[in-house]
Amino acid sequence: MKDVYVVGGALHPAGRHYDKNIDDLAAAVLDKAIADAQADIEALFVASSTAELGNKQQLLGVYVLESLGLDKIPVFRIENGDGSGGAAVVAAYHALRAGEYNCVAVVGVDKPNDVLSNQQQDIYATTLDTHFERYFGFTPLSYAALMAKMYLKKYEYKYEDLARWAVLMHAHGAGNPYAYFRRPVKLEDAVNSEVVSEPLRLYDVGPLADGAAAAVLCNNKKKDGPRILSVTTSTNAVGFNARNEYDVLYSLEEAARSALKKAGITPRDIAAAEVHDSFSIFGALALEGLGIVKRGGALAALREGDLPVNLSGGFKARGNILGATGVYQVVELAWQLMGREFKRVEGNYGVVHSMGGVDRVSTVIVVGL
Amino acid sequence: MKHESVPIYWRNIPQYYRLVAKRCKKCGAVHFPPVVRCRCGSKELEDLELPKEGKLVEFTVLHQVGTDFLKQKPLVVGLVELSNGVRVVGQIVDAQVEKLAPGAKVEVVFRRVVADGKHGLVMYGYKFRPVGL
Repeated sequence: MKDVYVVGGALHPAGRHYDKNIDDLAAAVLDKAIADAQADIEALFVASSTAELGNKQQLLGVYVLESLGLDKIPVFRIENGDGSGGAAVVAAYHALRAGEYNCVAVVGVDKPNDVLSNQQQDIYATTLDTHFERYFGFTPLSYAALMAKMYLKKYEYKYEDLARWAVLMHAHGAGNPYAYFRRPVKLEDAVNSEVVSEPLRLYDVGPLADGAAAAVLCNNKKKDGPRILSVTTSTNAVGFNARNEYDVLYSLEEAARSALKKAGITPRDIAAAEVHDSFSIFGALALEGLGIVKRGGALAALREGDLPVNLSGGFKARGNILGATGVYQVVELAWQLMGREFKRVEGNYGVVHSMGGVDRVSTVIVVGL
Repeated sequence: MKHESVPIYWRNIPQYYRLVAKRCKKCGAVHFPPVVRCRCGSKELEDLELPKEGKLVEFTVLHQVGTDFLKQKPLVVGLVELSNGVRVVGQIVDAQVEKLAPGAKVEVVFRRVVADGKHGLVMYGYKFRPVGL
């Protein structure tokens, strides 16, 4: 089996890109990532959550290639909801490990702002069970709120403890030139923001943003870049109503255990983590699921001060770019380890957590220098 | 969402109208929504209509909703444990939110869920109403 390296990458600033079509946005970052890698790609893996429902485009990869004047390159479209990005990196990794290709690109793209905000809710809700959850009006936010409510009660936290997540994310996002929000916020801003689904407020929600990210992965080290040490995707195929507990991310637990074991590291070796905090509570639960803090201890750790989690600003400040986010995370983490565009982290290992739906599928990717 | 599908709605009516679940004949586990294979491995499953009363486990008041629910917002949604221990998620209706708390007794009611525009489908289903509040 061959080793896999992150040889090149490119990010598009998250935001509202009304002037660009989805394929053009993806093509722009893919072009930059290929130039950055100085390598020819042999396959393209496309991660997107809502290209069909929101942007009315199937076969996205082909149109991205067409825009760049590239031809005869196989394309594979990966949809795992808002966890598509991580899953696409996993697919690319396996193809390279097997030696089927030497260099491939992964591009993640989503443009939620091509539709109105209530239509975004309709579409995001299709990551839930469409017949028995979405049908009755549930959205991912409503489930995040229920989980947050139960978590805060069980561990006797106050809402302020959870609101610190947004403050930390904004502090980190201020240092990310590609973030949607690049300004710090105060705890009182978060605590006084509008209630969207109690106990959650506006600042607990990662804003949906348009964006695209691309990574070029190769199984020979053509250029400086960290190595992907391991990947694991796992699922939680139990409905929200039938969960044993509501303060744990089951899909992450298994993915984290397996990926860390394969990489031969422990949670203590993690110098930086990019986790799927589409809602603040998921960020807290992801810290616990990765073993960085003990169960129920995430918000207490947050009270103590800074944590090396989501140096990008996470979903709250970088933005929630749906299926593209996992690719953002991998590039961000690679750059944090290299000290490129981000401050160099103190340590040689980082992890990405990319999740689809409300704890339905999680991918953990361990990256090391 | 605009233009909901008639076949999708029609084939889920036993669940939407009567909460028809599947019970495993081998291990007794009850599955809602229905499944075709139990976690114990058995494919011998029978229909079971779920009880129509239970208690609230937890709820939230949702202010950001999809296009079908704009006229109904905010939506009170929650997790309910029915009297046989099976849990179901759904809307909580006719509730004074300030009096609602985990443990509150609820009953199943049959309500309109979505009306797809002026000329489209009107779709129905179960919701939960607090009892004695």
